[in-house]
Parts: sequence; structure tokens; C-alpha cells
Amino acid sequence: MNAGMGFKLSHLQSMLLFALLISIAFGFLSRRQPIERVKYIVSSLLLFLLIGVGIGWAMYPFSR
Amino acid sequence: MTAPIAPRQDSARETTAPETPSQDSRRETMAYVIGVAGWLVPGLGHALIRMWGRAAMCFLTVGTLVILGAGMRGNVFSSAANDAFDWLGYLADLGTGTFYLVARSLETGGPDVSHAGGDYGTRFLATAGVLNLLSALHAYEAARGRKA
Repeated sequence: MNAGMGFKLSHLQSMLLFALLISIAFGFLSRRQPIERVKYIVSSLLLFLLIGVGIGWAMYPFSR
Repeated sequence: MTAPIAPRQDSARETTAPETPSQDSRRETMAYVIGVAGWLVPGLGHALIRMWGRAAMCFLTVGTLVILGAGMRGNVFSSAANDAFDWLGYLADLGTGTFYLVARSLETGGPDVSHAGGDYGTRFLATAGVLNLLSALHAYEAARGRKA
């Protein structure tokens, strides 16, 4: 891969991908049953996004 | 009148003979080998103990994070570290095992952390390493017979 083929992702896309991949990994490592894994992945993903967006908004007053 | 309920018995515990010290040490050695294999090639540790789903997940997630991180031109730290943070980054990147070499070979253009994408790429690479170390530790514990 050369520099010209680099991925161009926005903040939100990067955060979504990161949260999704880590949630899947944690779900598979920490749970055995498929239904439990799905529940864990969904709840973990939602928490990642909620906390990420929450921290983003919490920093908003200091960004100017 | 109902019959008294018999206490629940763990049949596996009853039928499993206690391990001898030599079996125990062999199992410990195998667990180390599995842990190191899991670090060198993401997912290999779990594959060796036939946890196929976890093996595939580990390989795919660590691989995807490394490809994305290198593609976003994140910083792949080298041993020529300048400060403690560079060393920590290097250690985290080394956590990906052989995928560290893949990241270095993919990123021919060098890092570009002047934009957010490159910064995210650096985090993706470090997270891939730490995640792989966690996975290797999980495989080691599972091989030792701990609940996993």
C-alpha cells in the first residue's frame, strides 16, 4: 500500500469503526453463548458511542 | 408429599482425576507456548486450543485495526524511540506480533499525523497491539484450564 491509497475517514467514521471492532473483540473474549455475545457487543457499542459523543460535547466549551 | 431433592453433583469434578506434578508442568509449558503463539500470530493461540470463533475474531479484528491504522498513515513506532511515550507506543505496536512487520511494510509513505486520520491511525495500531496481548493472555489462561 502506498501513501496514495490511504484511507480517508472522518472523526465519526473512525470512532464508529473503532467502537465496533473493539466491541466485537470484547464480546467474543468475554462471553461464550452467541446471544450473550450479541447483547454484549450491542451494549458495549452503544456505550462507546454515548461516552465518545458525550466527552466530545463536554469538551465543546473549551474548544474556542 | 414430594421426594427430597438430591444435592446437585458436579459429575465432571468427580470423574476427573487429579493431575500429577509432571502433567501440571507440561500443561503450564503448553500454556506458555500457546500464549506466545497467540502473541506472534493473532488468533493462533485460540486456534491451538480449538476455540475457532475466538481465533477468527482475534485475527480479523487485529488485522483490520492494523490495516486501517497503517492505511490512515498512523505512526508505527520503531525502537529508535526518543522519549517514554515513543517507547510505550513501540511496546504497544509490538503487541501485534508479526503484524507489526505487516504494518511497517504497508506504510511505505511514512506516518502523517498532521491530520486527524493519522492520529486515529496511531491509536488503531496501538489498540491492535494491546488487544492482541489481551487475547494472547486469554488463550494462555484458557490453556491453563482457567475459566475463559
